[in-house]
Amino acid sequence: MEKTLAKKDFPQWVKKLTSWKIYLPKKDAGGRWNYAEADGEDVLETRQATLPPKTILFPQNEILLEFSKSRKGNAETLEVKEVLPPAEPTVVFGVRPCEAKAAWLLDEVFASEPRDIYYWMRRENTTLVGLACTPPPSDNCFCTSVEGSPHAEEGSDILLTDLGDKYYVRSLTAKGEALINAAKGLFEEAKPEDRKKVKAVHTESEKKIQRELKGARAVSEKLKTMFDSPFWDEEAMSCLRCGICTYICPSCHCFDINDEIIDTTPLRGKRVRTWDTCQFPDFTMHSSGHNPRPDKASRLRQRLLHKFQYFVQVYDKFMCVGCGRCITMCPVGIDIIKVLEKVRDHGA
Amino acid sequence: MEPNVYLPRLAKIIQIKEEVGGARAVKTFRTELVNGGRFDYRCGQCAMLSVFGKGEAMISISSSPLVKDFMQFSILRSGRVTAALHDMEAGDLIGIRGPYGNGFPIDDWKGKNLVFIGGGIGLAPLWSIVQTALLRRKEFGGLSLIYGARTSADIVFKDELRELKSQMPVHLSIDVAEPDWKEFIGFVPTNVLDKKPAPAGTIAITCGPPIMIKFVIKNLKDLHFEDEQIYTTVENKMKCGIGKCGRCNIGFHYVCKDGPVYSWAELRTLPQEY
Amino acid sequence: MAKIDTLKEEARKLLQDGKVKYIIGYGAGSNGWPAAPLFIKQPEDVDKLIWDPTCIHNLVRFLVDEKRRKGKEKPPDKRPVGIFVKGCDSRAIVVLLQEKFIERGDVYILGISCEKAGVVDDAKLAKKLAGKKVITIEVDDENRFVLTTAGGKIEVPVEELLAERCLECRANFPVIYDVLSGEKTKRAVDKPFGSVEKIESLPVEERWAFWKEQIDKCIRCYACRSACPMCYCDECVVDSIQLAVSADTTADEKAGRIKWIQRSAAPSENMIYHLVRAIHLGGRCIDCGECERVCPLDIPLRLLNKKLEKEAKELFDYEVGFDPDLPALISSFRDDDPQDFIR
Repeated sequence: MEKTLAKKDFPQWVKKLTSWKIYLPKKDAGGRWNYAEADGEDVLETRQATLPPKTILFPQNEILLEFSKSRKGNAETLEVKEVLPPAEPTVVFGVRPCEAKAAWLLDEVFASEPRDIYYWMRRENTTLVGLACTPPPSDNCFCTSVEGSPHAEEGSDILLTDLGDKYYVRSLTAKGEALINAAKGLFEEAKPEDRKKVKAVHTESEKKIQRELKGARAVSEKLKTMFDSPFWDEEAMSCLRCGICTYICPSCHCFDINDEIIDTTPLRGKRVRTWDTCQFPDFTMHSSGHNPRPDKASRLRQRLLHKFQYFVQVYDKFMCVGCGRCITMCPVGIDIIKVLEKVRDHGA
Repeated sequence: MEPNVYLPRLAKIIQIKEEVGGARAVKTFRTELVNGGRFDYRCGQCAMLSVFGKGEAMISISSSPLVKDFMQFSILRSGRVTAALHDMEAGDLIGIRGPYGNGFPIDDWKGKNLVFIGGGIGLAPLWSIVQTALLRRKEFGGLSLIYGARTSADIVFKDELRELKSQMPVHLSIDVAEPDWKEFIGFVPTNVLDKKPAPAGTIAITCGPPIMIKFVIKNLKDLHFEDEQIYTTVENKMKCGIGKCGRCNIGFHYVCKDGPVYSWAELRTLPQEY
Repeated sequence: MAKIDTLKEEARKLLQDGKVKYIIGYGAGSNGWPAAPLFIKQPEDVDKLIWDPTCIHNLVRFLVDEKRRKGKEKPPDKRPVGIFVKGCDSRAIVVLLQEKFIERGDVYILGISCEKAGVVDDAKLAKKLAGKKVITIEVDDENRFVLTTAGGKIEVPVEELLAERCLECRANFPVIYDVLSGEKTKRAVDKPFGSVEKIESLPVEERWAFWKEQIDKCIRCYACRSACPMCYCDECVVDSIQLAVSADTTADEKAGRIKWIQRSAAPSENMIYHLVRAIHLGGRCIDCGECERVCPLDIPLRLLNKKLEKEAKELFDYEVGFDPDLPALISSFRDDDPQDFIR
């Protein structure tokens, strides 16, 4: 389904979606962009939010179950209650094509058997409305180097393209169509000249990407020979071992599961899944104290190999969408493009 | 509605046996699901045990899948969850989800000699296959066990090992000399060199601390075992058990899902990150 | 503006003579600015060293890594590490010496004075540049930042772009060093605790609302802790497990470890984390501002530490990081210490 929507009608569209919970990028009081709930004054802007919409599909904290003990006389009973995510239809507007692509990558992880029901309930209830990037939202965007593009469709249910006074609206899934049908009167059929314009805008947008990693597939192959290289020690010297690069990454999905106690007598608590990161030492530390990844070098290596070698070996896709957040936000300037370039050229 | 893989089934501890006391205590727990029996599993597979309020721990199943009425776990008191398990009593409830992992390719080993090489609590994952091989005795050639622990007190399954000696050669060792110890003194890899299992038609299966595994493999190679004749089970820290939480990987394999059982032929091609 | 040339030569000599293990300094950032930490082992690499107002990082934090690394070396290479420090950073070294975390011989200190300027604030700079790319940033003789961009030069009074902490800095030159570049000049500071006083003047409900909103944003990436030279503990209450586990650590010790903070990034847990960190930095924080700079969510963490710095000054007349021979505030007692807080 291909339509156009006058830009001035966008707020109308949002208003008509009364049975959906709606998120879109908004600037907070401090000038920072976040995916926030719609508030009646909603416009779309091509800015990179600090945290990707991963926070909606894979929230930082997710209660998996609740448990409680009770005692009747001498008999103790233990009750374990499954807690599933609320089944509320949700729309995220203004998703960057790379962020939607990241959801498509997360789908691989959480879809592989056995399926992760928590992720899937949210994913199936969420409609992602992508907005093609014209111009790129950050100086460090490099989506075109990792088999993506500023107008990629993977993961999106609808892709919007800004044509000046209107959006070109391309629906990609049934979920996308439902969203358009909910406000039918606002949309016009797309005309051939719109289609032509979209193509031109898309081609132009690719040229605006400022950073490039040449030969990403070759990097992937090269990494297979680099595991034992002292290279990683050098590259990781300045790493602070914080979790920024992974927490703000749209495709990083590692998590921890812990029991959190609410009450001790009688016992009552919840089992919670939280984001975790390969950059923390406790991520892999055995109970004995033995740690297969004992230093910053092995942890930096894990992050890069997971994204550019291991994931490629299993799914034939990069687990990096080239959003550049980890580059922009690294407090010590570790630049994934530069490191991978060094890998590519290592020993040459 | 599809099943929720993170939701454990409730199980009752039906028997607890103290194997080893002291600082490195080991206890063996027999459990049955509250709804009866157990789930199906293969030798070498693991299960995620829950102590509600403390968390979960991945433990290998030490009973044979041919034993239908319970599942057995032999557990070293090591951290938060295992210490809580040790403090439990028969009749207490825990959670179990699983089984996880690939398990041993036991059907490929028909007609072969099997030599089991274990260290410390590493005998637990081997125990499932030792028991199964005995129950299917006719399908295999010679069976033998080389097993060691730090001290004689740290030896697990003491009664069972005594009994096992009537069914297969059992070569025990302890790390340093003790009065009254009549068997081998030294590390398990050294005992392997001493007992010289013959590689012809033999599969060697080893489990123990990572450092022991590394040297056992080296010594088996020195005894001319081929990479394909050596099997081990790897352990890494785990949380999900289903290849999603991202922490137990060695290279592109998740130990919880693609392992924990590996032939050395396969394991040696992966990064040695365990 | 302090010149780095003399320090480069010093660094070259140190490396040539094998007097230091390596040198921690600043190099060009990957995408222009800001600078990035640079580790140099070979004398020929010293030309990669830079010094400009984007040398924001407190490199003293890397001495914590070095100590851990040295602990694993067999035999340990006991040569000192060369390190570039600004005024604030040098005070971090003083605290580490006071706390006997390092010894004086562990470091060869290459001090650089910020003189009348300091380092830039990324956000203020980005705003000033309004999308333009900066090629170099210098301080001119009239104490202005000169930003060279492709479209020409922009001149700004330093006060307009300086990091908040630099505006409140009372010693913008190193207080401990082996060699020093630049003058020991102080910039006049009217209100050393101005930023704190602004918040202090608010009614308690507003202060609570402010902090609640800020702390709720935290994603617990622990960048603040990771960037801090004072957060060197092997074991931190916020970690999910005890990290300082040896072969002798008993199961009971591991199992009995109290979980002070749950892993969920929930408001209550975030608040405890930041309060615990702030309290642990009382009398120790030298206001390098790294915690606030590295925070991806822009939580104004520096204010928490500044408040405790102010308390230390007002209650105990204690100024952090000036005298390595002075006992640390928390571990010393004087008869005339105020006791009102006990009541």
